[in-house]
Amino acid sequence: MENKGFWGTKAGHLTLAFLVIMAAFVLIMAGLAAGSDVLCAAGFLIIVAAMLYSPVEVYILKKK
Amino acid sequence: MNIPVTPFMWIMAFLPIIVLLVLMIKFNWGATEAAAVGLVITAVTGVAFYKADLKLLAVESAKGIWSALIILIIVWTAILMYQVGDEARAFLVIRNGMRKLLPNELLLVIAMGWIFESFLQGITGFGVPVAVGAPLLIGIGVSPLWAVIIPLFGQAWGNTFGTLAAAWDSLAMSAGLAVGSDAYLRTAFWTALFLLLWNAVTGLAICWFYGKGKALKKGLPAVLVMTVIQGGGELLLSQVNTTLSCFLPSCISLVVILLMGRMKMYKEEWSISDSAIMDRSAKGAGVDEAPSDMTLVQAFVPYFLLSALTLIVLLVKPINAFLGQFSFGLAFPETQTGYGYVNAASDCFSPLALFTHASMFLFISSIVGLIYYRKHRWIKDGGVKRVFVKSVSMTMPSGIAVIGLVIMSKLMSGTGQTVVLANGIATVLGKAYVVLAPFVGLLGTFMTGSNMSSNILFGDFQMTTANLLNVDAAAVLGAQSAGGAIGSAVSPSKIILGTTTANILGREGEVLKKILSITVPATIVIGVIVFVMLAL
Repeated sequence: MENKGFWGTKAGHLTLAFLVIMAAFVLIMAGLAAGSDVLCAAGFLIIVAAMLYSPVEVYILKKK
Repeated sequence: MNIPVTPFMWIMAFLPIIVLLVLMIKFNWGATEAAAVGLVITAVTGVAFYKADLKLLAVESAKGIWSALIILIIVWTAILMYQVGDEARAFLVIRNGMRKLLPNELLLVIAMGWIFESFLQGITGFGVPVAVGAPLLIGIGVSPLWAVIIPLFGQAWGNTFGTLAAAWDSLAMSAGLAVGSDAYLRTAFWTALFLLLWNAVTGLAICWFYGKGKALKKGLPAVLVMTVIQGGGELLLSQVNTTLSCFLPSCISLVVILLMGRMKMYKEEWSISDSAIMDRSAKGAGVDEAPSDMTLVQAFVPYFLLSALTLIVLLVKPINAFLGQFSFGLAFPETQTGYGYVNAASDCFSPLALFTHASMFLFISSIVGLIYYRKHRWIKDGGVKRVFVKSVSMTMPSGIAVIGLVIMSKLMSGTGQTVVLANGIATVLGKAYVVLAPFVGLLGTFMTGSNMSSNILFGDFQMTTANLLNVDAAAVLGAQSAGGAIGSAVSPSKIILGTTTANILGREGEVLKKILSITVPATIVIGVIVFVMLAL
């Protein structure tokens, strides 16, 4: 119950965003190792998307 | 580098910083939200106007995440240490004990918000004084907003020569100053002189915040003594041993302020009932909850251990060399913009020497503190789990902001925007540039969250510009590092450490607004002093 509550909070959502950014970081490093620009670009775009979660939720979704 | 330094390009480079400031100060956005917008703008301007490709952005972002992770493990361990003390209610014991030692409330605020932070900055740095100081101040009744603002001021003066002079060494390295040379000592002198001024401003500002003129009058003797010990001591020691020039005076000031509490002028209970920074409604809450069998010394056990560990590992050369050899970093390829701005390849980018890293000292101190408190039954059943869960929960939200800000600074640097910003200022202003020299240092710390990074980023630029303008490089470099130290008080990634442990996440804009009212005028004064001195 406590765990479910945490993931429903803003801190929980930001933790998810953090984990997504870590995954994107791994993706970029894998892209660099494999010489794949596509993987690198995908990793960067995922980082931007995860970063934008908070302002979108606070200033767009919650304001509606 | 073929990037055209035009007004348009300069404005584009400045845009992310302006947007970040406006969102935080004018619209009261939190750093988590503002950093994301700043990051997107930096990426767009990087691609559209600075001819960066997606691979360059990805590589710089990965570097940013790696650098941010190194910061975040300090944040987590600092919060872990705070949670250990909180769970054991050690802060209530510290609050009650310090109140007895320092019955004068203003002196208590100075000790807990400035002197103790200076001590922590002298050995650890990296935002630890802010993260640890904020809850301590809340514990003595300071309102959460001010409990973040005061430590930010308190730690700033120690940023150049603190952390055993890491930022100073970076400046010397970046500007090519040979250790012990005339230029080295003169630059150290100018830097310490400017920091002495800022140190005095710090003490006076805390008094002013506490109770305007009445508090200034009461606190002036203490502020003067502390400034002579800290700022004056640093000035003297900067000519002898830069490594200890912040730490040693900080330790002495910690002892002296406790002794001042026994002096006639400070030994009686004294406070201003309507002080703007104190939360009287919260005062006294939890007094009865403090463990009656815990002494003040026992409450400080994790902090004593932190000091001892840090000193032993950083100062005992054989131990430092042995533990320092275990380090690892990531390899990154060379990247280049369409303008030919090159980011060199690195086989081992920003290596992390885990066993000599501040986070290791914090972690060991926290765990030993946890075991010690648990053994004495000050941490009850279930408390250990609570400590870890709370520490992770508090770290994660600030983690996003720190990652966003560090990536933003890496993108600005990697696409050439930072260089254009600095070059543009110097080209347009000529010799009047020296007035803005400390602002460049401040800007570097604002962006990177680190005086050391600011010095690495702009040290060489300041040196080159000073030589081009035919002015004394020592004074300009001193202004750079002093501005960088002051910038640590306004750096969003440091502010967020305080708002996290003070539990007011999202109010970073309010904090920033209040701090800018002191830091901007102080930085202008330093710039004017440099200008006048060089004109004479």
